[in-house]
Amino acid sequence: MYLKTKATPQEIKEYLSLCGPSIERIYGEGNECVYDIEITGNRPDAMSVMGVAREAATILPRFGIAATLVGDPYREKVVFPKSKNELKLTLATDATLNPRWMSLIFDNVTVKASPTWLTKYLELAGMRSLNNVVDITNFLMRAYGQPAHVFDYDAIEGHKMTLRASKKGEKLQTLDGKSHTLPGNDIVIEDKHGKLIDLCGIMGGENSSVTERTKRVILFLQTYSPSHIRKTSMALGHRTEAAALFEKGLDTELVKPVFYRGMELMMELTGGKPASTLIDLYPKPHKAVTVSVPLSKIYSYIGTISLKEIKETLASLGFRVQSSTKAITVVVPSYRRDVSIDVDVIEEIARVYGYQNIPSRLPEHAPPTTMPDPVLSHEEALKIRLRDWGYTELITYSMVSKELMEKFGHDTNNAYKIANPLSSEWEYMRPDLFMSMVPVLRENLKLTKSLKVFELSMVYRFRPNNLPEETPTLIVVWSGNKFLEAKGLAETIFSLFGIPFPHDLANEAKQPFDWYSQHRLSLSEFGSLGTLDYQMLQKNGITTPLTRLVIDFGKLVARANAKKSYTPVPKYPPIMEDLSFIVPDNFYIGPLMEALRAAHPLVFDVTLLDVHENTRTFHITYQDEKRNLTNADITPIRTKLISLAESKFGVSLKSR
Amino acid sequence: MTEEIISGSNVISLLLLAQEEALSLIKDTSKSVEELKLLLMGSKSDLARLTKQISRVPKEERQQVGVIVSQVKQSIEQGLEARAASHPGQKTKNTTFLDITMPGERPPNGNLHLVTQAIMEITRIFERIGFTRVRHPEVDWDWYPFESLNMPTNHPARDEWETFFLEYPGKPGKDPHKQKMVLTPHTSNGQVREMEKGELPIRMINIAKCYRRQIDVSHTPMFHQFEGLYVDRNVSIGNLKGVFDHFVKQFFGASRVTRLRPFHFQFTEPSFEVDINCGICLGTSKLEDGSTCKLCKAGWLELGGAGMVHPVVLRNGGIDPDVYSGFAFGWGIERTSMMKSGTKLDDIRLLYSNDVRFLQQF
Repeated sequence: MYLKTKATPQEIKEYLSLCGPSIERIYGEGNECVYDIEITGNRPDAMSVMGVAREAATILPRFGIAATLVGDPYREKVVFPKSKNELKLTLATDATLNPRWMSLIFDNVTVKASPTWLTKYLELAGMRSLNNVVDITNFLMRAYGQPAHVFDYDAIEGHKMTLRASKKGEKLQTLDGKSHTLPGNDIVIEDKHGKLIDLCGIMGGENSSVTERTKRVILFLQTYSPSHIRKTSMALGHRTEAAALFEKGLDTELVKPVFYRGMELMMELTGGKPASTLIDLYPKPHKAVTVSVPLSKIYSYIGTISLKEIKETLASLGFRVQSSTKAITVVVPSYRRDVSIDVDVIEEIARVYGYQNIPSRLPEHAPPTTMPDPVLSHEEALKIRLRDWGYTELITYSMVSKELMEKFGHDTNNAYKIANPLSSEWEYMRPDLFMSMVPVLRENLKLTKSLKVFELSMVYRFRPNNLPEETPTLIVVWSGNKFLEAKGLAETIFSLFGIPFPHDLANEAKQPFDWYSQHRLSLSEFGSLGTLDYQMLQKNGITTPLTRLVIDFGKLVARANAKKSYTPVPKYPPIMEDLSFIVPDNFYIGPLMEALRAAHPLVFDVTLLDVHENTRTFHITYQDEKRNLTNADITPIRTKLISLAESKFGVSLKSR
Repeated sequence: MTEEIISGSNVISLLLLAQEEALSLIKDTSKSVEELKLLLMGSKSDLARLTKQISRVPKEERQQVGVIVSQVKQSIEQGLEARAASHPGQKTKNTTFLDITMPGERPPNGNLHLVTQAIMEITRIFERIGFTRVRHPEVDWDWYPFESLNMPTNHPARDEWETFFLEYPGKPGKDPHKQKMVLTPHTSNGQVREMEKGELPIRMINIAKCYRRQIDVSHTPMFHQFEGLYVDRNVSIGNLKGVFDHFVKQFFGASRVTRLRPFHFQFTEPSFEVDINCGICLGTSKLEDGSTCKLCKAGWLELGGAGMVHPVVLRNGGIDPDVYSGFAFGWGIERTSMMKSGTKLDDIRLLYSNDVRFLQQF
């Protein structure tokens, strides 16, 4: 109807999608072909059949397919019939809220079913046909992207319409039967008695709508302040097609030609006759915007393109172009309100020129010298090690439920709460990683009895009046009682980071020991490890014993000591022997081993070889870097070790 | 007859001597391993003889001697094994049957989450062209993901993001940029944050978690994005294509194709949609059984948005848009990873089900 071309629908789909609006889908209905098109929010001018046709008329010729725009409203000659002054209407408006208002009253209107062509047009476009008068307004909106509305002239008391900003709490019923209490500063029209008859730009009032009995109709086309329409529509949750158009900012220059087309249709389809003066309140006519673009910038963005091509491309889009040796200056068409700065113009040139025609090349400049973030590289390295040590990585949602927060004793008042959660399952940003893992552990333990999993993700620590402190945290979980495995992993990790193992028996009692059983270990400010409290697990639906290691990864990296200093490799062989001690019940072996290691400079290392009932066997390595050791050297040291162990730790040598 | 007492140190030095002799003898290839074993460890060997003498060592020294005996024995055995291994024709006496069809003893085998694997791979690919990985906040002031990106409050463009808002933890102060908090719906909050570091040029890959209010086969409320930002003098659309080509070739391989389409974002101008053909239906939108592919839209999937950084954004980051230009893109890690040939994953939610039976497949 608006585009004359021999392009096939598939060609139109492909080429428009590459250079203009994205055609998502084509489907046929009889002989008709319906295009499902995505128009970006900055292009209200293209949100209509005419708008898309205009794009096609520019783009298709670029692919060697002739295409001409037919019935361009901006080029149509608009001559309104001589005004009559039979029916009166008093208007008042506010140019800030309502830049343009056109109206005309029709008499002798017959409200009836629309002709088949119109009914079909609307149905293909996904709209329901109601009656000829309403259908005309929907047709205008879909064809030209300019919403239109009709009032029953006789339903407007005093034949007076005043457009104004609403006051908070004013009430209005829209023609879909819904009642609204207005948030305030909404654009509305009231009648002579101050009764609201229109929620402008969104939906007409029920009380002034056209019915089967309507004889006299006001055709009503306007533009509005986009931000007002947006605010009202969002606040009321009343999203209409008209609102979606108005809130994007429509072209005031389009109102008149569309109004003219509407008038023609009113006369043709309803038998209505113009019966008033043509009202056109347009105090500040559109002034064309001029944009200048340095040619150097165009070449920098696009590459080699001839000035001729630049000018032709812009001209085909409706821009008037002038050029100098250094820049081009364009006059932007009234419908392209998205174009206001140089790069907007560059986009128009580039997309029609075709992104596929711009050669691809990596940046030529030298890359910057940037120091990488140590947290990221350490995270990656540790994750790889954990994988290679047999652990499986989990990534859980960062949001947790209120139920979990409360179960784990977190203060929901001092937490980051999502104001518009998608589900009660995801309402708070977790202050602790374990909470997120609990449901995952529970589900997995239904399927397997053996788990070795970890997650290294953020927790969101509360800071009043501030963003959370996002702290990377490592949690490893084992099924079963794996205390020593957990401790061994922790020891290895601390050793990798060059940090002395932070276990501090003296401060043990001061550490917060959430949810552990008796078998637990504080890792000072870095975290903790241990077997988990069975009752806590049961409350969370877990019946398998679990062991957990928690490490504040941020602290670990902050304290990391990457320096490894050289110790000469010993030239002389070590002497090794094993000593077995009988220890009392409930004996802590750690301090004894530390004491043995520190007992003499020639004691190179003490490791635990065997544990059997109350017997602990240590493997002791003696080493001197300067000479071979003899039994005579070892004997007094051994005596010292044994007497230290016996006197200070209350153990006794087994072999004696 | 009472046996003579021998000092422990005496026995030890004899043992060490015997060890030394034994080890040098093992090097003599004229003798078979069998012969050597009998000679060095048999009942008439020096080792056996010396071992018997332990009983004559004073009690308190016996343990020490015992340790040395076992060390010497071990070192001779090791020497013999090494000799046997280097001369496979000469078998040791103790050769026993080994069922070589038994399953091998494997090293531990864990798994990285598919998303982590993708992050690592993507990080490497961009590192090769000088882009350094950074991480910016997931919970941020509304300024960074919206206002600084040319999207003022109530701008309709904000609708596209299905943003999660946070209740303010306390009372907002006076700083106009610190009035509202959101869960970042995209990694683009890293753009102005990166510019604020004040170093130019910028080659950044920001990888972080993002959040949007939606869940279906191709959306989860939490997901990951990688955001590229390049700011320098004279950055071109061709450079953006060059970087995409580099990435796509390395990540997806030859069977996948991409295209740039015009699009609109408030924070880039020009803006592009970068598409890639679907890895499930390979661009046909139909599955093998004739049903419609539920992942893609007519055979093409949106990898994500891209564009030349908008002058307003550069200015918000303290950069003069008349001197510098740049490009930016933000793509979903999950989508990108799912589009990779071979994964054939048709429901993104599986990634966060954290079912270890699923995770251990990768």
